[in-house]
Amino acid sequence: MVNVLFFAHLKDVVGKEEVSVEGNEWNVARLKEKIAADYGLEGLESVMTAVNEEFADDETILSEGDTIAFIPPVSGG
Amino acid sequence: MSERYSRQTLFSPIGEEGQKKISSKHVLLIGAGALGSANAEFLTRAGIGKLTIVDRDYVEESNLQRQQLYTEKDVLEKLPKAEAAKRHCQDINGEVEVEAIIMDGTALSLEPLFAGVSLVIDATDNFETRMVINDLSQKHRIPWIYGACVGSVGMSFTIIPGVTPCLNCLLRSIPIQGMTCDTGGIIFPAVQMVVAHQAADALKILVEDYDAVRPGFSTFDLWRNQYQTMKVGRAKKSDCLSCGEAPTYPFLTLENATKTTVLCGRDTVQVRPPAPRKLQLEKLGSDLGGSGFTVKSNPFLLSVEKDGERMVIFSDGRALIHGTKDMVHAKVLYQRILG
Repeated sequence: MVNVLFFAHLKDVVGKEEVSVEGNEWNVARLKEKIAADYGLEGLESVMTAVNEEFADDETILSEGDTIAFIPPVSGG
Repeated sequence: MSERYSRQTLFSPIGEEGQKKISSKHVLLIGAGALGSANAEFLTRAGIGKLTIVDRDYVEESNLQRQQLYTEKDVLEKLPKAEAAKRHCQDINGEVEVEAIIMDGTALSLEPLFAGVSLVIDATDNFETRMVINDLSQKHRIPWIYGACVGSVGMSFTIIPGVTPCLNCLLRSIPIQGMTCDTGGIIFPAVQMVVAHQAADALKILVEDYDAVRPGFSTFDLWRNQYQTMKVGRAKKSDCLSCGEAPTYPFLTLENATKTTVLCGRDTVQVRPPAPRKLQLEKLGSDLGGSGFTVKSNPFLLSVEKDGERMVIFSDGRALIHGTKDMVHAKVLYQRILG
């Protein structure tokens, strides 16, 4: 299992800040697809991903117990 | 004025030496909205040598809740933000040389401004301009500090060419925007938190204390109480077209067409011609007045209204079409007046 953290408005859409899901040995892209389908999250392809507080791309492979944060970039100023 | 910077120089990482460096440097600030006015005030109070402020917009009532430099008088006068910011900064610190440039930041218009600056601070409201800044920063080897906020969310990241990854490494493409800009609003503390991050790193860069620069990408949400700083060392990509081994600076490529942009957080479309024009605003105003438009003007712009449609035209041919997010409609209205 891996822990997924939802930042900003993603937290509101999902209804909670953190979920524990299957994902050991998956890549980030696969996890995003699964999360998008399970929680109705749109636009995850342009959301930044941190794995254990380190930048990760779609090909990054996850390990048991990892914490994955989805952080939507914002553009206002 | 000898006491002016005493509390800043007592802070040992800055000191008298650091203050000398700050006062000898030139910062380019792109954008004079919420992030821009707060950054401009900070740099001015800190005693920067020269500050260049670039902005395309003018002051409106809805700005006053968070754009800290501006006043009701600026709204009444419809002053361009760059000009209003310059005036207020000069009242705060007459030692600082402040230059106001009223224009839309594009690859073509921004590139000359990178000459001779020590640092670029991002206070824009869109990723298109940020990607242009990112490419220019790499091309001219000048650090820049990304900052952005929407709602209660903010983020900041400092990019030093040759050292850190660049924004293109992290985003890979321009993210879909508008999802939250128009609906999310913005609260003042989110602005302040971003500016605190940008300002602290700006001071470090200006005093050349590069080791102190925040190494990660910081994100926070002041309402949902979330904070994260993401390490980015592994994000640097050798094949990045902006900062990799064979850069092409893809965002500096020009599209040779009139461009329309929905302005973030506003019911407004900006239309700009492929190349800047030099409009005779006075003549245009009297022509439009004669065609049944209600016309208001100042030396910088023309505000025209007819049948509930409102448009503000700048002398470089750029226009803001209010009351719409429809880019085609905006272009139609624009071309109806300016051909």
